[in-house]
Amino acid sequence: MSIISSAHGEAEAQPVTPAGGQPVGKKIEGRSPWRLAYERLRADRAAIISLVTIIVIVLCAVFAPVFASITGHPPNVQYVNTGENAAGGPVPPSSLFWLGTDSNGRDLLVRIVYGARISLEIGVLSTLLAVALGTILGLAAGFFGRVVDTIIARIVDVMLSIPFLLLALSLAYIVGPSVLVVTFIIGGFSWAAVARIVRGQVMTMREKEYIEAARALGAGPWRIMIIDLLPNVIAQVIVYASLLIPLAIVAEAGLSFLGVGVPAPTADWGEMISTAGGYYQYGYWWFLFFPSLALLLTTFAFNIFGDSVRDAFDPRGGQLFV
Amino acid sequence: MSDNTSASGPSGSAATAGSSDDVLLRVENLVKYFPLKKSGLFQPREYVHAVDGVNLEVRRGETYGVVGETGCGKSTLARCIARLYDVTSGRITFDGRDITKISQRQMRPLRKEIQMIFQDPYGSLNPRRRVGSIIGDPFAIHNLAEGAERKRRVQELMELVGLNPEHFNRFPAEFSGGQRQRIGVARALAFRPKLIICDEPVSALDVSIQAQVLNLLIDLQSELGLTYIFIAHDLSVVRHVSDRVAVMYLGQIAEAAPASDLFVTPRHPYTGALLSAVPVPDPDVSDRRAQIILVGDVPSPISPPAGCRFHPRCPKAAQVCVDQMPVLEPRLGDGPAHQAACHLPMAAGENLADFRPSIGADERITEGGVDVFDEVPFDTVDATAQALRKGSQR
Repeated sequence: MSIISSAHGEAEAQPVTPAGGQPVGKKIEGRSPWRLAYERLRADRAAIISLVTIIVIVLCAVFAPVFASITGHPPNVQYVNTGENAAGGPVPPSSLFWLGTDSNGRDLLVRIVYGARISLEIGVLSTLLAVALGTILGLAAGFFGRVVDTIIARIVDVMLSIPFLLLALSLAYIVGPSVLVVTFIIGGFSWAAVARIVRGQVMTMREKEYIEAARALGAGPWRIMIIDLLPNVIAQVIVYASLLIPLAIVAEAGLSFLGVGVPAPTADWGEMISTAGGYYQYGYWWFLFFPSLALLLTTFAFNIFGDSVRDAFDPRGGQLFV
Repeated sequence: MSDNTSASGPSGSAATAGSSDDVLLRVENLVKYFPLKKSGLFQPREYVHAVDGVNLEVRRGETYGVVGETGCGKSTLARCIARLYDVTSGRITFDGRDITKISQRQMRPLRKEIQMIFQDPYGSLNPRRRVGSIIGDPFAIHNLAEGAERKRRVQELMELVGLNPEHFNRFPAEFSGGQRQRIGVARALAFRPKLIICDEPVSALDVSIQAQVLNLLIDLQSELGLTYIFIAHDLSVVRHVSDRVAVMYLGQIAEAAPASDLFVTPRHPYTGALLSAVPVPDPDVSDRRAQIILVGDVPSPISPPAGCRFHPRCPKAAQVCVDQMPVLEPRLGDGPAHQAACHLPMAAGENLADFRPSIGADERITEGGVDVFDEVPFDTVDATAQALRKGSQR
């Protein structure tokens, strides 16, 4: 008995000590779902690493002119003498051009950090556009139901069934490519998925008694949507948005790759990768490698961070969408 | 039933005089059908007859109990009265005003006078909002109080229903079921409404908590002169709080009577069967008692039986029950307050188990082709009734 009890005593002492050591009357503070998500995010190492990467990329984009002044190479200036070899091709990384030059003799490093500006700008703006559109339409469809729902749900179905590249290519070609046009095209194609998620969520909540309670108190449809429904879907929307940003960045690079993105001579990753593709076979690897690496790092960091955000909001580890 | 409620009756209606003024809510021939999806293009559209011709009057300061099985339309009735549902036909008069067809916009000021307490204390509070904001909703929606003033009034309400006012910053998840139901009560009380519709306010709670919440409701009624419509499926709960009780079956009122009459001399066989199912805490009494077990389930409300809706399950059913729908009126020399919708009402002391229906098996719900109306000893003990009896003795 003594052996068993002593073994038990030790095992039990472990959890008891901290609880007993707590000061009496310590306030147990209620934590909001946001606070809990934030704390989980902070404890997630992958989230911190990816967030730091994102911050570094953002800083590079913001301080792109600093890179230009340090190297002394503005993004659109061609260095015909120093930046091109005898055959007129790009020169490899050196002390003069840290990451080499592109096919036009421009500093690749400076162009990559300037390209980050375009990628992030379009990535974030088109995602904001998609989230705003999708949330509003999804809320309306889910809450009002009937005709409103039928119309919006059918539009969503149509949007999701249209091949993105085909229509984006023709649209950009007709309207003429610019940062704004590309943003609207990508945002205009991404909202449908957001709307579908929000609509589904709202439909499950519409019959909840707290919505009935709000109606019994005399709350109008707008108040119910903004005060009662929105806080319950915003977490899912944020999670989806964080995964939408890398998608938008890739889509923008894709459009530029196909020649209907941001017009030249603006520095753009997709355009660089596209041009570099023609030079790679002649041994100019850096011209393809560094823009690709920038694109990969950016989307990877955003994706990992998006996953962490999802985990933070849903600690059970289940799937949020499906 | 309790001393509390009977005392609150006169005090609640003291301001108004005269018997017609006494009626706060009148429901006449209320009908609510829910359309079903068509099964085929050329099939006629079918409807769920959730509430089918309900008449009732609720007087100021009283508690009007509504009992019935799950799916008998009592919650639909509540939501129609609160105008959360549009009414198919019939008339609802509240405080002398016809509210049957008025728009949600016109209904808005009336929301301050008719409030609801919901069944599920977990579903009726938005999990993402703090309690202070939930209870403050009525003030926010009707622009009654802002900022510090709103906070003060919210804390007053919390104190009124027995919650710690310091907890206004917490989330619903941090409260127990009983406390959550108190939050729901506080929210409903914000306007000091004339009528509160309690839709099974205690059926989701633990038994010991049920008594607490019921007593809170009773205390608030005498304090604030409230009128309740109290919906429940638990007869002992309804008996504990109600002045008058209506028994619903398949969307209609089978019997309506003062609580004291109903539980002593039920006229409708359905009421009789329900009462015989109320568990008796004394095992000796319980063994001796005749227990009527109804056969089968409640028929589908999509195509309810003709005549009396209860006839397929009624031990006293005769041909007249199939042919004619009975009217809700006083039977067997009862006073005008005790009404039953039954052609063959039960006399006092009558035992339902002695009867065999005199209609063919076609119209009846049978089990294995044989009618079963035997006495069955009741062996499950419903702790609710015991706890409530203890509560009412106190």
